[in-house]
Amino acid sequence: MSDFVQVSQLWPLIGYSAAVLVVIGAMLAIPRFLSHERHARYTEEPFESGVVPVGDVRVRLAVQYYPVAIFFVIFDLEAIFIFAWAVAFREAGWLGYLEMLAFIGILLASLVYLWRIGALDWRTRRQRLQDSFLD
Amino acid sequence: MISAVDLIALLPLLILTGTAILAMLAIAIRRNHRLVFLLTVAGLLGALALVPMAANMTPRTVTPLLLVDRYALVFTALALAAGLVVVCLCRSYFGVRADQPEEVYLLILTALLGAGVLAAGRHFASFFLGLETLSVSLFALIAYPYRDERALEAGIKYLVLSGAASGFLVFGMALVYADTGTLEFSALISASSTLTIIIGTILIVAAVSFKLSLVPFHLWTADVYQGAPAPVTAFLATVSKGAVFVLLLRYAVAGGLGQAPALVNVLSLLAALSMLAGNLLALRQDNLKRLLAYSSIAHMGYLLIVLVAGSKVSGSFAAEALLFYLAAYFVTTLAAFGTITVLSPSDREAESLDDYAGLFHSHPWPATVLASALLSLAGIPLTAGFVGKFYLFAAGGLGELWTLLALLVVGSGLGLYYYVRVIFQMAKPSLDIAGKPTAPAPLEAHLVLVVLLVLLFGLGVYPGGVIDLLTMAALR
Amino acid sequence: MSLALLILVLVAGGMLALLADRRDSALPRWIALIALIVDGALLAPYFAAATSENGAWLDNLRWAWIPRFGIGFHLALDGLSLLLVALTVLLGLMAVAASWSEIKERIGLFHANLLWTLAGVLGVFLALDLFLFFVFWEVMIVPMYFLIALWGHENRAYAAIKFFLFTQVSGLLMLLAMVVLVLLHHAKTAIYTFDYFALLGTKLDPDAALWLMLGFFIAFAVKLPAVPLHTWLPDAHTQAPTGGSVILAGVLLKTGAYGLLRFVIPLFPSATLDFAPTAMALGVFSILYGGMLAFAQSDLKRLVAYSSISHMGFVLVGLYARNALAVQGAVMTLLAHGLSAAALFMVAGALQERLHTREMGRMGGLWSDVPRLAAIALFFSVAALGLPGLGNFVGEFLVLAGAFRATPTITALAALGLIVAPVYSLILIQRAFHGERMKPRRIHDMGAREITAMICLIAATLAMGLYPQPLIEIADAAISAKPGPMVAERSAP
Repeated sequence: MSDFVQVSQLWPLIGYSAAVLVVIGAMLAIPRFLSHERHARYTEEPFESGVVPVGDVRVRLAVQYYPVAIFFVIFDLEAIFIFAWAVAFREAGWLGYLEMLAFIGILLASLVYLWRIGALDWRTRRQRLQDSFLD
Repeated sequence: MISAVDLIALLPLLILTGTAILAMLAIAIRRNHRLVFLLTVAGLLGALALVPMAANMTPRTVTPLLLVDRYALVFTALALAAGLVVVCLCRSYFGVRADQPEEVYLLILTALLGAGVLAAGRHFASFFLGLETLSVSLFALIAYPYRDERALEAGIKYLVLSGAASGFLVFGMALVYADTGTLEFSALISASSTLTIIIGTILIVAAVSFKLSLVPFHLWTADVYQGAPAPVTAFLATVSKGAVFVLLLRYAVAGGLGQAPALVNVLSLLAALSMLAGNLLALRQDNLKRLLAYSSIAHMGYLLIVLVAGSKVSGSFAAEALLFYLAAYFVTTLAAFGTITVLSPSDREAESLDDYAGLFHSHPWPATVLASALLSLAGIPLTAGFVGKFYLFAAGGLGELWTLLALLVVGSGLGLYYYVRVIFQMAKPSLDIAGKPTAPAPLEAHLVLVVLLVLLFGLGVYPGGVIDLLTMAALR
Repeated sequence: MSLALLILVLVAGGMLALLADRRDSALPRWIALIALIVDGALLAPYFAAATSENGAWLDNLRWAWIPRFGIGFHLALDGLSLLLVALTVLLGLMAVAASWSEIKERIGLFHANLLWTLAGVLGVFLALDLFLFFVFWEVMIVPMYFLIALWGHENRAYAAIKFFLFTQVSGLLMLLAMVVLVLLHHAKTAIYTFDYFALLGTKLDPDAALWLMLGFFIAFAVKLPAVPLHTWLPDAHTQAPTGGSVILAGVLLKTGAYGLLRFVIPLFPSATLDFAPTAMALGVFSILYGGMLAFAQSDLKRLVAYSSISHMGFVLVGLYARNALAVQGAVMTLLAHGLSAAALFMVAGALQERLHTREMGRMGGLWSDVPRLAAIALFFSVAALGLPGLGNFVGEFLVLAGAFRATPTITALAALGLIVAPVYSLILIQRAFHGERMKPRRIHDMGAREITAMICLIAATLAMGLYPQPLIEIADAAISAKPGPMVAERSAP
């Protein structure tokens, strides 16, 4: 089995990874034996930079951000198929062209749909209400 | 190269795709529930009408991915009909509950497309594509009432576990590919079964077992059945499971799964566990949707008998048995969930067994349908379920699977207990009329129930016609 | 055609009764009565035709049903079926009469279920296609379940589900055995068929035959019931409404015996031969155990229920004694027990309707309150204990006489049943009707309707006891003739 022969060439990598794990393990394990635990009021506070953190680490992004991000990923992924077709443009011929036309047509239709249902609208619901008042 | 004949063979699926896009554009132009509903019904009817035309072209391999034969088309027709039923149920259900009910139809259409691809799949790529198209549509359908916590929970649960299952599936496919260098089912039969292939196949079977909710991959079932809207549960219980089963049998027969004893043992074990655990867990349920969920686990276990037998009996008989059982199970399950849908008041679902006390007196018509469905699930003669069970006995007998058949008998006995318990509950004199769910009487939903009831007894009393159709649908 | 009509009349009658309930709640009773009388009229010509020169099969009907598996709608009638069908119709009439004043709510549904149960029973007695037989076998259970579950007494839910589970699960074993038998037949001949005559000659190796025979035997033994499988019966009989008890004891138990006689013994002759000692031992055990338990009961209906187990033990012994005399005896016992058990359940029902209890401890001294009822109870008690001159004696005597030729020891043990029977029969009379009268009761005796029904049963029991020859002749052609396809293909008269 040639697959297994190649494994032997990976030994340096495996050895290196193992060494990394050993070092990290040692760094984490040694303090446990050397230190003695003491819990006081400021033990858990960060000290190195000298600034006490303020606020929550979990930043809340506006929900509209996520759909748009996902649409980007989706359409980006679909575009890959177009690249694949472009590479084989001559081999695929007219049939391929028609198929790609249908494919892009479906993408377009879904874009129209997303636009019309307001998925691309960046405003919150309240802002939308306000805007419709202003109009 | 795709020819015109290939396109005709694919026509039902193409119509489905076209309808989905049209429906999407219709929603984009102007939201109109009625229009989208009618469009969907027309599309489904059109696709159904074209199935016989496609059947004239069979069997036909369209690209390396799909094999359109009668086996695939019979199931496609079955799935389309089930989709039609679900769509009719959805109209009144979501019409009063959701602000924007139109996308339900879109999702059902894409899910059906996935089911159609699965039925015709002869290649791991189409397997995966079909499965994901089906599953992704289902995530959204399950969590459609997004303000309902339980529906959201069910949707997320299904999403996460389904994702994990897909991971196993792809890994299994990769292992099989690594050893054989092919993704076609039919190429596997000549491959010697090495350890890699067996491990890969077991991973694939595990992923599929998740979709079919076989024990021990069943943990999501009750919660998702309960949380999902009733018509969606009906869809999940029928089309989604049926499509996976249809593909599994093709994979098993074409790929020669029966040649590896290890795999047969794994499948037998899954069947035995599902039959026992599903029925035992259903015994103490006081929620009808959960009860039906556990009963579906047991029924998938029963159906695995056909698959295990498929390694010994001819593929055509296994296909006939599977398709008949699925048809009977579809009709029965749709009737059961259809009744739940019809009986649900607009603010909640009629799922607690207490909701059904005295139903024979307060709502005789839905009670009759539900009672018939439960008797059919229990496999009482003159109902579709009995002929299905008869097929299981025949397949198991031909395959000489005595242990599994004994478990089938035990499981059916347990099953009788909880099915009849519900019927008894319905026959009780009703205590108070005030808190009872009231049926809003949407016409098309009741019409669907009539059709299902006729089919339920039709398949049970005179199954000859359908059987003749199925014997032509032999899997090669 | 007229065979299908027999069943169809009852099915349609049930539908009509259900629909008529809305119009007038008394109408369903009359519809049920008329449907049963029509059935009786349909049967009459067969009695005239049932002579020895007409051969075993009196009528035959065969339609294709599911050709894929060689399943046909095949009904046929021989002397044995004829007697049991007639018993069914007669007891159906009795059940309607017994329910006349007892059932007061959902009358239409009650009679529909009653008629459908009877239709299923008729199907069981007539079907000669195994698949069809199984369909009827299972279908008759469902309306019976509703009869118990909806109109039964205090513990009806438990009794109904127990009855349903026992019969259905054993039925599934039978289905499995049937399918395997057909598959083995197919392996030999490449023909799928569920037809009785086609399957009769199937060559089976002994192991397979034994297992298949057991599949059938368990289903029939549950219904009969034979002792280890009997526990559903006391509950179901006690909790069922009177009409339901009459049908259960009088007719449904007979389907088990009929199944043994029609299917198990001819289909698996050699396995039956090996199994006969076991079956006869079970029969004897049923006789003694059922009798002893009957004696220990304080609930009137339970006592009668356990006595049924005891009597069915005689049937089992008779069927497996493998000679025509004993089998004749078993058939006579079936008929006589059907009459006497039905009558005793009607007595118990009548008492419960009047006293609202089945406890014999709370009866006592009823003779002076209801002399007619008491006299009838005494008559059927002595009939049940096997007094010569009444129907049951003929059956039990023939069983013992026939079985003695086969196995004297078992017969001797079975004969002990004749000692047990008077004990529990007379204790019934003693505790319920004699003894001290606790307080004067204001209850009415049996009315004209009840008396008429009882007179029918008394007359039938007397006739069977005094001149059983015509019945024996009718059954004889069916019992002594070797069942075979050549006879069956004879066209209908």
